[in-house]
Formats: sequence, structure tokens, C-alpha cells
Amino acid sequence: MTESEWSGLMAAAQAGNGGAYRRLLEEVRVWLCRYYGRRLPPSMIDDAAQDTLIAIHQKRHTYDSSRPFVAWLAAIARYKWIDRLREMKRHSTEALPDDIHVEGHETAVITATILETLLGQLKPAQSTAIRLVKIHGLSVEQAATRTGQSVSLVKVNIHRGLAKLAVIVEREDPAHG
Amino acid sequence: MDDFMAGLVADLKPVRPRRPAIEAAVLATLLAAELALWLLTDNARENLAQVAMTTPTFWWKLASAGVLTVIGCAAALSSLDPAGSPRRGLIAFGLGCIVFLIVGAGLDWSLGLTNLAARLPLSGGLECLSYLVPLSLPPLVALGFLMRRGAATDLPGTALACGLAAAGWGAFVFVFTCPHDDPLFVAIWYPIAMAITALLARLVLPWVSRW
Repeated sequence: MTESEWSGLMAAAQAGNGGAYRRLLEEVRVWLCRYYGRRLPPSMIDDAAQDTLIAIHQKRHTYDSSRPFVAWLAAIARYKWIDRLREMKRHSTEALPDDIHVEGHETAVITATILETLLGQLKPAQSTAIRLVKIHGLSVEQAATRTGQSVSLVKVNIHRGLAKLAVIVEREDPAHG
Repeated sequence: MDDFMAGLVADLKPVRPRRPAIEAAVLATLLAAELALWLLTDNARENLAQVAMTTPTFWWKLASAGVLTVIGCAAALSSLDPAGSPRRGLIAFGLGCIVFLIVGAGLDWSLGLTNLAARLPLSGGLECLSYLVPLSLPPLVALGFLMRRGAATDLPGTALACGLAAAGWGAFVFVFTCPHDDPLFVAIWYPIAMAITALLARLVLPWVSRW
């Protein structure tokens, strides 16, 4: 779908056209699943996409049909992605579910590459703690044993590392879908 | 997911797209109303026309506050679009502050005033705070309302821009009341009062505008 088609559908949706809105949401959902597929674990993709669709619904009046739709969509998707990262930071660390492995190999490679690039910008102790607990699913105690850090230091490193990741992500190009 | 999307479609109502120009016009009307109300309730300094308006300090204060308000409002309103950012506006605001201080330093030098302690009375400074901060609150509430209705994606930055815009307007209105024509006094106490408003906005607005 072209930029002008998306833009036209959104303008029609703003005017109350349910058919155009339905079609737009379906297209946007596919776009969001691809977007979050590169940035979040598979178990979080659907939730993130739903959350973003609700945000789009609530804030649809902020779209200006004379401006690019994808840039508007990407900005909202990125905002919700940062929200997810913050949420990961707030919640206590826990093992990831068994179905964490990505179905599509290509997606897994892209996700891993982006994650590695981001983690590479953290201090080694922070990136190691995040890798072990948030990606490999170890408990904080297991990560502490593995790294020789205390349990509280592992928690601190995860907390600070995720906070720094959020800052790094915020500096990224918002239109980079 | 199908039920979920059907729910969103069922909830669809026509909306009027956001128009920043209309928001700016509404904001300008509100600010003008605040200024008119403030002056009509006899809050202007007594010698405003005879003395204050003949000094370069008065026009420096007024022009600086006015320009900073415009920059702050532009930064805030442009960042209410999800794809917008307040960063450039905040940088412009910072540069505006530097120009304000440089011009003030030039004025201060030209007046050749001495005795720093006597020029910075605490009572006068606190009086400045007690006027300027409350005068910033109406525009802050209005900008907060617009921020809640918009879709800012840099909540701290937009909140700061709203706070600085509101503080600039508070300073603009207070210029008509402020009895101090000393550039040093203005360069110290006005920024302190503006910083309090900006800090308040930075702390409160992201919290109430989360979406």
C-alpha cells in the first residue's frame, strides 16, 4: 500500500468511514507486527501491536492528512516501543517463556543484530546481566553465580542498563521503520 | 485480534483533525485575556507610562519575554504531533535566553551601576517570584490541556517547552507590574521564577499527559 493510500484511508477514517478504518487497521497491524518483530521478543509482539492500535484509535485526530502517514505511525510505534522497554525495566526480572525462540530465522537475525548493537553501547557488566536474565532467561541468582556479581548488583546493572537502552532508543531516527 | 479490531471500528466516530494554527489562536486569545484582565484590575505599576516605558530596561524585559513566549509556544505546539519534537524549539529557547542575558549585560554596563548586594534585594526577588509564577499558571493549564489532547512522544521535552512558554508569558505580564528597572535584578530573579514554573511543568505534565 502506498503512502497516499494510507493517508487517504486515515482521512476517511477521521471522517467516520468504518470500512476505510477497518482496512487501514489491518494494514497497520501487519506493519506493526513487522516493526515490533525486529525489536521485541515474539511473546510481546501482539500486545505491543494491540497497545499501539489503541493509541492510534485514541489519537487519530492528531494525524494531518497533508503529512506522511508512515512517519506519524512510526512515531507512535516507537513511543509505544519505548514504553515497553520501560515496562521491562519496572517489572521484576523473570525467566522468559519457552516459546521465546523466533519462528522466522530472518526476523531472529535482525532482532539479534539490533539487540547486539544496542547492548554493545552499554557497560559490559550491564549488557552481560541483561543478556543472561532478559534474553537467556536465567534467574537473577543464576546470573549472579555466572558473572560473579552479587544479586543486588545484577539487579542494579539490569535496571541501569535498560534505562540507558531507553535513552539510546529515544535518540534513534523515529521514522526508521 | 479480529474482535479487537472490530471493537475499534465499532467505536469509530468522526473526529476533527488537530489544527496547530487554531490551537495557537486560542492560546493567544487566552493570553491576551489574561493580560487585559491583569491590567484592568489595576495591577500596572504607577509610573508605567511616565517612567518605566521610557527606559531601555522595560523594552528589553518586554521584548525578551515576548520572544521567549513565542519560541516556547511554537516548540510546545509543534511537538504535540507524534512525529514532532520539541528539541529544536528548546535549543532556540536556550539561545534566546543567551541573547537576553547578553543584551542585559550590555544595558547593565551602560548604566554603570555598582553595589551588587543592594541591587539584589531578597524581598524584591521573592515578590517577583510571588507574582511571576502564579501569572504563569493560566497558560500552563491551557498548554497542559493541549498536551493531553495531543500526542507528544517526547513527554519530558514537551512538558519543558510548555513550562518555558508559560513562564515566558508570566514574565511578559509581570513586566507591566515589576517596579525594578535594574538589569541585574531582572537577569537574576526572572530566570529563577521562570525556572520554577518550568520545573513544575516538567514534573507534572508528563504524568498527566501519558497516553
